[in-house]
Amino acid sequence: MTRAALPRVVVSGLGVVSPYGAGVKSLWTGLSAGACAIRPVTVIETEGLRSRVAAEVPAEALDGLGVSRRRSRADRLALAAAAEALADAGLEGRDRRPAACLVGAVGGGMHEAEAWYWDEVRSGRPAPGRQRALRSVLPRAHADAVAFRFGLEGPRETLVMACASGAASIALGADLIRDGVVDVALAGGVDALTRICFMGFNALKLLAPEPCRPFDRDRRGMSIGEGAAFLVLEDAGRCRARGGRAHAELAGAAMTTDAHHVTAPHPEGEGMIRAMSLALGCARMASGEIGYVNAHGTGTPQNDRIEALALARVFGEGRILVSSTKSLVGHTMAAAGSVEALATILALEHGLVPPTANLTEIDPAVPFDCVPGTARPADLGAALSNSFGFGGQNVSLIFSRLSH
Amino acid sequence: MTEKEVLDDLKTIIVERLRFDPARAAEMTLDTTLPKGIDGSLGLDSLDFIELSVGIEERFGIVIDEREDLSDEFLSLQSLARFVLSKSAQG
Repeated sequence: MTRAALPRVVVSGLGVVSPYGAGVKSLWTGLSAGACAIRPVTVIETEGLRSRVAAEVPAEALDGLGVSRRRSRADRLALAAAAEALADAGLEGRDRRPAACLVGAVGGGMHEAEAWYWDEVRSGRPAPGRQRALRSVLPRAHADAVAFRFGLEGPRETLVMACASGAASIALGADLIRDGVVDVALAGGVDALTRICFMGFNALKLLAPEPCRPFDRDRRGMSIGEGAAFLVLEDAGRCRARGGRAHAELAGAAMTTDAHHVTAPHPEGEGMIRAMSLALGCARMASGEIGYVNAHGTGTPQNDRIEALALARVFGEGRILVSSTKSLVGHTMAAAGSVEALATILALEHGLVPPTANLTEIDPAVPFDCVPGTARPADLGAALSNSFGFGGQNVSLIFSRLSH
Repeated sequence: MTEKEVLDDLKTIIVERLRFDPARAAEMTLDTTLPKGIDGSLGLDSLDFIELSVGIEERFGIVIDEREDLSDEFLSLQSLARFVLSKSAQG
């Protein structure tokens, strides 16, 4: 029996709010310049913690988003990024209605809930803001806000998969389109800085005191960031029929699990290898067709060493360019997978690989050119983005350039 | 901006954000009251008022102080339209 060819999935819209500010343009300007946006933290208290730096969305950018301050910080980021992606895709009211709304999220409205809680605990009196804090505290609040605001009436899902959430929502979107459930999906992720996230990673001794240095021999951990990024994913035929313009094809996507440990990745990168290999299979590509990998690249000793091992197994030592944009915009948590999907697509579109910042001496256990410091021109046909969440939640996405 | 323009925008918010029937919105006048518990009002509850406030802030680019008691301002479409106009004038 021959199976009918599966629909091809294209990316027809991009939107982001990053530590560089609002918009895809500012993201690409920052990434391609190799500008590290990791600075002293201002929006949460960090006194006494091992790290006091993070990549925050600047206050003036947040205030310029045109989204009510009554909404949670994370909802504001999500709504602005989603608005840009839908506008970029040229999806108007009627075209939007059947769209799936898929959001990777972890922190929800915790930023406000924490502020309210500490206010009340410290003052010993009921503090204002309770209603707002409780209304948007759950991770699913973002998907509700986005779907309501933009009239998206297809399936609505929130994926809580730690640091892989933003990539998982994109993988799910591809599945829903390939399976014919929907022909358009808004997929992405969002997280705002919160004390619980910062203190949690601090307690795990995973935060670097200085801006993170992925793949460096002297790397000391990760730097937290915040932001939101969304992609409009669309059945290629439908996109063409409505006269839409695609940025890239989402050629392959795969998710795997290390059934290994509550936090640590499998020591041989078994689940990472399977995710990348399955994504290549899904894209019907040989590993040699991939020119660049946007690594998960957190800057922790453990992740970077095991990811490099897995990359070497899949692609062969030194066969690809590898960079970690977390060195530029921090680890934006549930947004990271979608922010990095944008970075990967923009690298394809511009023929330029964003660099790994703060990388002065490569770890000898990392047998790759990690593009230190300065962006590198590269004629790329396809590129892969990795996202690996706590507890072995692995997602690999492959994007390819469209042949016009 | 005139009171009429603000009223029309408020009706749009009530239809688009609060999911009221557009036919019902067409019948709304400046005298239409908002909170539930008043005869003939739109019957808005506390969550509706949050949604309405968010809609107003995003449409008119103003900031409404949530610590203030604004029950008089949010009583009817007329009082609300005047409130929005005065806030907009403050820039």
